[in-house]
Amino acid sequence: MKVPLVVNGERVAVEARPDEMLLGVLRREFGLLSVRETCGIGVCGACTVLVDGEPVSACLLLTPLAAGRDITTVESLGGDHPVQRAFVEAEAFQCGYCTPGMILTAKRLLEEMPEPSEEEIKTYLGGNLCRCGCYVKIIEAVKLAAAESYPLREVSGT
Amino acid sequence: MIGMSAVEWLEPRSLEEALDLRARYGEDATVVAGGTFLGILMNQGFLRPVRLLALRGVLDLDSINQENEGLVLGAMATHRVVERSGMVREGWPALAHAFSVVASPRVRNQATVGGVLADADYASDPPAMLAALDARVVVAGSGGRREIPVADFILDHYTTSLEEDELVVEVRVPGRARRAVYRKFRSRSSEDRPCVSVAAAEVGGGLRVVVGAVAGRPQYFPEACALAESGRTEPDLADEIARRYAEAIEPISDARGSARYRRRVVAVEVRRALEDLYRE
Ligand code: FES
Ligand code: FES
Repeated sequence: MKVPLVVNGERVAVEARPDEMLLGVLRREFGLLSVRETCGIGVCGACTVLVDGEPVSACLLLTPLAAGRDITTVESLGGDHPVQRAFVEAEAFQCGYCTPGMILTAKRLLEEMPEPSEEEIKTYLGGNLCRCGCYVKIIEAVKLAAAESYPLREVSGT
Repeated sequence: MIGMSAVEWLEPRSLEEALDLRARYGEDATVVAGGTFLGILMNQGFLRPVRLLALRGVLDLDSINQENEGLVLGAMATHRVVERSGMVREGWPALAHAFSVVASPRVRNQATVGGVLADADYASDPPAMLAALDARVVVAGSGGRREIPVADFILDHYTTSLEEDELVVEVRVPGRARRAVYRKFRSRSSEDRPCVSVAAAEVGGGLRVVVGAVAGRPQYFPEACALAESGRTEPDLADEIARRYAEAIEPISDARGSARYRRRVVAVEVRRALEDLYRE
């Protein structure tokens, strides 16, 4: 079936099977390799994308459910996003496999809570796993990004 | 792809149309709400649907409203929308809390109220809290609508009383509970499902304690709860109710804890939930 998607701001209709998860479509049709499959059961966060600004597991999202919605991957942040800069500055990675998911989740966290406590950071990022165990640095990076007077965006109530 | 027939995607725009399709296909069309549980089953190869019946396009199924003091949660409202709703937080804070501790923000952005009930996974957080609040599941089918208490809707592991031609439409939570608490005991990581969960609420003057994640369905023992009216006082009361729950429940064993371990946790967590409740 043809599924109309908005991927990183670009409107495209892609050919996909209705039982195919968005993860595969983003990698195959768009070459967005920052979206990674590890667990395939919503636990690890390596496949995190933003759907209408909210983090979602691309491994569990049937492609037609994404129709007409805004899909954002880390590729669209351009490398100079405050959260990306903070991750580099804090050296919040080793292999970098989990990093795109961490950055997207942290981006949304800071929109919701511009000044999160350490506990709030841990809870919000609790569903993003880092096999290299860089958690201490990742939390540091999120604090750094927050301190950098991250530009506030209006957060809708629901 | 020779020999493989294409999977059909059905996306009705109205409840009427959705019910027609449900009546026509029954179990031959897999209902898609948020799709998290479904995605897990499909990725693991446990399920290969031939036809998917998505409810995302059905109007008004995701609303949250207040009606005669009660709360009405649309089946397609996501966990995140429920947990962040001002109406829910204000009138039913323990319920908002129970939705907010499910897995991660990612899962909660996708998972729905109707989905978590229809999947009937023994280790989900919201069902126990909904049962303690005496909420009812409203289902619609060819024969019209009916209301089923959450405690009776979930029958066993992944089994509900939903008929083949029915869909969950909404969940109705009666007027604000005087006091309500939800305790989630995790034995592994922070985003994990509960090993034992305890929901306690005072509804219509009576106490309702429901224990989740320990058996095929949420565990509720009215006789033990009735002790609250026996004139016994704290802390004796909490101890006694906790003891009875620990005795009555036949816990399962899984990766989150053995039956023996769970029984001991139930005794502790029910007592703590009641202490929290009476402190409210
Ligand atoms: S691959 Fe999607 S959450 Fe792990
Ligand atoms: S940096 Fe290697 S998985 Fe996180």
